Amino acid sequence: MTPTPTTLPMIDTNIHPAIEAHLDMPAMLPNDQLPSFDGDRIIQYREALREAMSEEMRRDKRVFLLGEEVAQYNGAYKISQGMLDEFGAKRVIDTPISENGFAGMAIAAAMSGLRPIVEFMSWSFSFVAADPILNNAPKMLYMSGGQFGCPIVFRGNDGAGGQLASTHSWCVEALYANVPGLKMAIPSNPYDAKGLLKTAIRDPDPVFFLESERMLGDKAHVPEEEYYIPFGQARLAREGDAVTLVSFGRPVHFCLEAAERLAAEGIEVDVLDMRTIRPLDIDSIIERVKITNKVLVVDQSWPFASIASEVITQICERCFDWLDSPPARLNTADVPTPYAKGLEYDYLPNPDRIYEAVKGMMG
Amino acid sequence: MAINITMPRLSDTMEQGTVVKWHVNAGDTVSSGDVIADIETDKATMELESFDDGVVASLAIGEGQKINVGETIIILAEDGESVEDAMKSVGVSGSAAASAGGSDTPVPQTAPQTPSATAVAEPPATSNSSGNSSNNEDRVFASPLARKIAREHNLPIGSITGSGPSGRILKKDVEMMIGGPAVNAPTAPVASTAATAAPMPAPLPAPLPAPGAALESKTVALNTMRQIIATKLVESKTTIPHYQVTMSARMDSLNNLRGELNEQLAAQGVKLSVNDFIVRACAIAMHQHPFINSSWNPDSGQSSPSIQLHGHVNIGVAVSLPEEKGGGLVVATINNADQIGLRQISSETKRLAAKARDKGLAPAELTGSTFTISNLGMFGVEHFTAIINPPNAAILAVGRAIDKPFIEYDADGEAELVIGSEMSMTISSDHRIIDGAMAAAYLKTVKELLESPASLLV
Repeated sequence: MTPTPTTLPMIDTNIHPAIEAHLDMPAMLPNDQLPSFDGDRIIQYREALREAMSEEMRRDKRVFLLGEEVAQYNGAYKISQGMLDEFGAKRVIDTPISENGFAGMAIAAAMSGLRPIVEFMSWSFSFVAADPILNNAPKMLYMSGGQFGCPIVFRGNDGAGGQLASTHSWCVEALYANVPGLKMAIPSNPYDAKGLLKTAIRDPDPVFFLESERMLGDKAHVPEEEYYIPFGQARLAREGDAVTLVSFGRPVHFCLEAAERLAAEGIEVDVLDMRTIRPLDIDSIIERVKITNKVLVVDQSWPFASIASEVITQICERCFDWLDSPPARLNTADVPTPYAKGLEYDYLPNPDRIYEAVKGMMG
Repeated sequence: MAINITMPRLSDTMEQGTVVKWHVNAGDTVSSGDVIADIETDKATMELESFDDGVVASLAIGEGQKINVGETIIILAEDGESVEDAMKSVGVSGSAAASAGGSDTPVPQTAPQTPSATAVAEPPATSNSSGNSSNNEDRVFASPLARKIAREHNLPIGSITGSGPSGRILKKDVEMMIGGPAVNAPTAPVASTAATAAPMPAPLPAPLPAPGAALESKTVALNTMRQIIATKLVESKTTIPHYQVTMSARMDSLNNLRGELNEQLAAQGVKLSVNDFIVRACAIAMHQHPFINSSWNPDSGQSSPSIQLHGHVNIGVAVSLPEEKGGGLVVATINNADQIGLRQISSETKRLAAKARDKGLAPAELTGSTFTISNLGMFGVEHFTAIINPPNAAILAVGRAIDKPFIEYDADGEAELVIGSEMSMTISSDHRIIDGAMAAAYLKTVKELLESPASLLV
């Protein structure tokens, strides 16, 4: 007699797992009903991430964190500082330097009902885990005919971290966002980092969560009360009438800096922080483009087949007749990331380049 | 490869252009952005900038010469290319090119020439010219938003001067032409006469204003059409020596014939208007009076003034545009009106009038008239005079047919009082071309054709 496998529960419900997971989702509020963006509870971006993970781990025992140096060393970037003490070694797990192994293991855990958070020290290291994170996680719900979802968060540092050179400065948003079945968040500030990470942990699908070591020390107000930021809901960080700057992640700050300089010359631009790339809040972009009639997408990934290319395509599809100039993009230079400090600055979509690009569009 | 620079389309209605002045000679080095020539269009004299770098291999036409849009005006040798190679690559021998460059020989004029060399309907569109150079002469560069706004205001995009990169028309350029969101700009320009046209029902009487109602005082910005009407008609009235000759025609026979024809043709959906008969009569009368169907060629600096007799009869019909389209008027052209029958004239007039009022006419439907008719009969007007529509030499102002008492003599010479229908026609003529007797003779022919309308059928 063949023994019945006991490691997995028998499927004894007609409710689709993805739907069931959604039933567990907290209320998703529009921007104007979220807590105030401004305030005086000033904490670091890394602390905001830690609060998000800790709150969700307190709420839900299925949530756990694993990755290199997350436990005993308190995190390579001190994001998980103190979490081992609070949650213990079963829920804050140090792994070997083996992304392929621990990412795959975490995916299996997610399929089996747990809620893993996988920390990649850098997204640059995620490529050795490409098969599990791209070929398994995003397709699991589809390939299993709805039997297994994959509620997992992969998070880590993305983009040029400051003289880390070509192989450690990857921007993965364009590469990974190409895959259907995953979600991708890329917060630019502590408020969004917390609100989006909490949503990512609650989300029933695999979420690729892109941080930046250049922002981990950024300080800003993070509300005391619990809040979740819906995916696919951009924030208008600055309102203008001349050009709409569309950006996400660290380049949002470059945009805001350029906007200040432009404002000094009487040019007021929009800065739209997309917050998530998948889903993409194209409606908010269209809404602003219909007002400014000009758009510049500022994207820290390479130009060829980039997120900027996708955004501009959708703009052309959706509001071509509202454009008064060719929709423009500003990416990093189409070369491997340079090591030299000055070259790295010039390579990025920095404030100087944004300023020049907007001036060019204004004729 | 040699660079062929062709006559650009500098306005929506431009079909030909004249090189008024060359700014370069063969052998000169030209850089992108250099002014190479002054081009006279139907509206203005504009500077033409080169869009390319090169050495002038040949000027294809001399100063004062007019050619069609799209034909070569200058050939540039590219950097590193010899002039001979450049000429070969465009299929011209070096010596032929040299003789063509700067030639003083006037070319035969094959088309009407505009009377003024310096009409300024728009600011010099240097940026626009670059956007229209070489093989892109038909393409008007405009942002999608500019096109959308222009379309919504029924404004031909080609009539707008672009201020953006490569002369691209931007939102602000269109808004400037519209003069603000409140004013609707209507269809294509090339308007002229002081009148309106045939197939339009007389307007209903306006309701009385409420007691105490006041008129509003405000400044209305000019739309493109109003600007062009203003410019062209001032030019016409101040440079052309107008005079008028009036003659009346008995319309009884024509009315009877028209009634009979319409009755028989009703089943086929044909309804001829009086205006259709007038168009036909005016057109075929040109065969006896070719000077009415002509244009004045002004002194071009290269050749002395001359009169251009046209080999075709294209009758322009003034069509007024409804208020909600921004008002104004256009001249719809019925080509070869002497060669086509009443039925075709009727359907073509109806088609053009409907299209003009609905969405505007294409440039080809607005230009090329050789004579214009303005009919205010449907408004109850008995007699009026019109301003010549350049480059026409004359315009006919047609009033309404009215019943009048006439004294007629029977076979025995007995006078008797009869009721007859009479229509007044007033021709305004350019006295440089048409003397009073010529105008009178032409009107007499038209009158005879209208009074013996069978001749209009065959």
